[in-house]
Amino acid sequence: MSEKLRIYLQPTPVRIWHWLNAFGIITLCVTGVQIRFPEHIVIFDSYRSAILLHNTAGLVVAVSFSLWFFYYGIVARSMAKLYVPTVKDLQTGIVRQMKFYFLTYFLGWKNPHHATPKDKFNPMQKSAYLAIMFVLVPLVSLTGITLTNVAFLRDFVVMVGGLKILMNIHFILASSLCAFLFTHIYLATLGQTFFAYFKPMLTGWEEVEDDHHHEHSAP
Amino acid sequence: MHPDTIRKYIGLGLFLICLLCPAFAIGMESEDCLDCHTDTDTVGDDFFVEMAPFNNSAHADVGCVSCHETVSEDHPNDGNVPSRADCLDCHDDVGEEYAHTAHAENASCNDCHNPHMVRGATAVSGHAMNQMCSDCHDGDEVAESHAEWLPQASLHIAMLPCISCHTASEDLVTSLFIIKKKDAEDGSLELASHEELKALAGDGNVQALVDTNEDDYISLAELRMFNRNPANKTVQLQGMMMPEEVSHSIETLDNRWDCSFCHASGPEAMQTSYLSLAQPDGSFKRVPAERGAVLDALFGTPDFYMVGATRSKTMNYIGLAIISGGLVLPVGHGSLRFLTRKNRRKSED
Repeated sequence: MSEKLRIYLQPTPVRIWHWLNAFGIITLCVTGVQIRFPEHIVIFDSYRSAILLHNTAGLVVAVSFSLWFFYYGIVARSMAKLYVPTVKDLQTGIVRQMKFYFLTYFLGWKNPHHATPKDKFNPMQKSAYLAIMFVLVPLVSLTGITLTNVAFLRDFVVMVGGLKILMNIHFILASSLCAFLFTHIYLATLGQTFFAYFKPMLTGWEEVEDDHHHEHSAP
Repeated sequence: MHPDTIRKYIGLGLFLICLLCPAFAIGMESEDCLDCHTDTDTVGDDFFVEMAPFNNSAHADVGCVSCHETVSEDHPNDGNVPSRADCLDCHDDVGEEYAHTAHAENASCNDCHNPHMVRGATAVSGHAMNQMCSDCHDGDEVAESHAEWLPQASLHIAMLPCISCHTASEDLVTSLFIIKKKDAEDGSLELASHEELKALAGDGNVQALVDTNEDDYISLAELRMFNRNPANKTVQLQGMMMPEEVSHSIETLDNRWDCSFCHASGPEAMQTSYLSLAQPDGSFKRVPAERGAVLDALFGTPDFYMVGATRSKTMNYIGLAIISGGLVLPVGHGSLRFLTRKNRRKSED
């Protein structure tokens, strides 16, 4: 017999950041496809609106990134603890988590990682989010900001090796982010129920059964 | 010899003399004219003609007298002001086209084109073309009015000849100019002059800086070599979309409001490009480049990119592979998840 336990997992600033990011990145992917293949893919009325929407969404993601950085780095001061994998994570944690996702999950075993506000991410998440939040998102934002200010930032463009190199870095990083999006949304459905992990990102609260083995981490 | 035959020969001789004399006179005349008219002390600013640009202009070949017909041997002592030809005498088709535009009411031919300096469109840089426009159109106002609707307005203004959008020319090609890497302080780009290129080329021909084998054709390999050569670090290639044929129907066509006129042409339309090389006389020589030069993934023209138009196919495939990679987990894991769903139901029970 187990009773429901409610954990406040996702504080308001985190939820605001997450959904700003989510809508921003999806808008960026959709408009980005039209911007790259305008004669094949026409989702928005004019090319101009696709560009303006892409630039605006890019700005939203960059601002929400600052919000995330400010909250975890300065307000909650839990950035390093949450996002940087420990030695133990790297030595055994990642393998254990991979074993769960790719083997024992199919056998019906439970997730070995138990999410708490102080230890939200499993070792695989930590490594993935570290790469995404500290490398991918900053680089894709910086290249994007540069591409919208080419005339002003010409010296920097030339330093990078030219517009084409900058553009291709932006495109490859954006494709990677889009690829991550599919994986991220899929993994979010691996909770106790299909939508179990979506709920805390909307309300902040995660409902877990209080028998210590049924706690999961959101992806 | 029969008197008739003699008469025939005399006639033919006279005819030939008549035919050759004016040409001879014109040749002499141009030089005579320039003796005085290239010196401001003699003729003043109003009648001054700059020697080198005139000699290299498209009009040098026809000579002074062709346009200033009534000039006499005694000029300027005869007191007559020599006539000036109407541009439309020769360029009537251009005039006809121009007459229908709003510009015709505000600017005559001479307001944009100095007849003593004119060159063919392909021998003029895009920057020089825009100079004509900016004589009347204030740069700040132009920037402001474009910024109201055009994304990246300042970039468009700096990187395009105005006439690419504001005339009826439909065929656009990419011209690659060699520019000095350090921008001027006002943000405008500085084209490398022939002398600067000469200094870079050393003993060699300026064209050989890019066209290594000097076959009047720029291959992709030659472009890459130019871009990667550390000796060229002070210069770089700057791409500009220019109309292939200049039309004088100056107006903003409806299709130019649609960004995809230029930005949606896809790899096919961006195939034609030229290298525009500064010549000693200040003009530019076009050297054709290999098809697809501006599309080459990275090193053909590293600093030329037009969203939607110059995308490279190689990069498209790499991007597609990455995005497909993101679908491997949902599809693969999802299938196994579906097949093993009973295991999880059992463990819940």
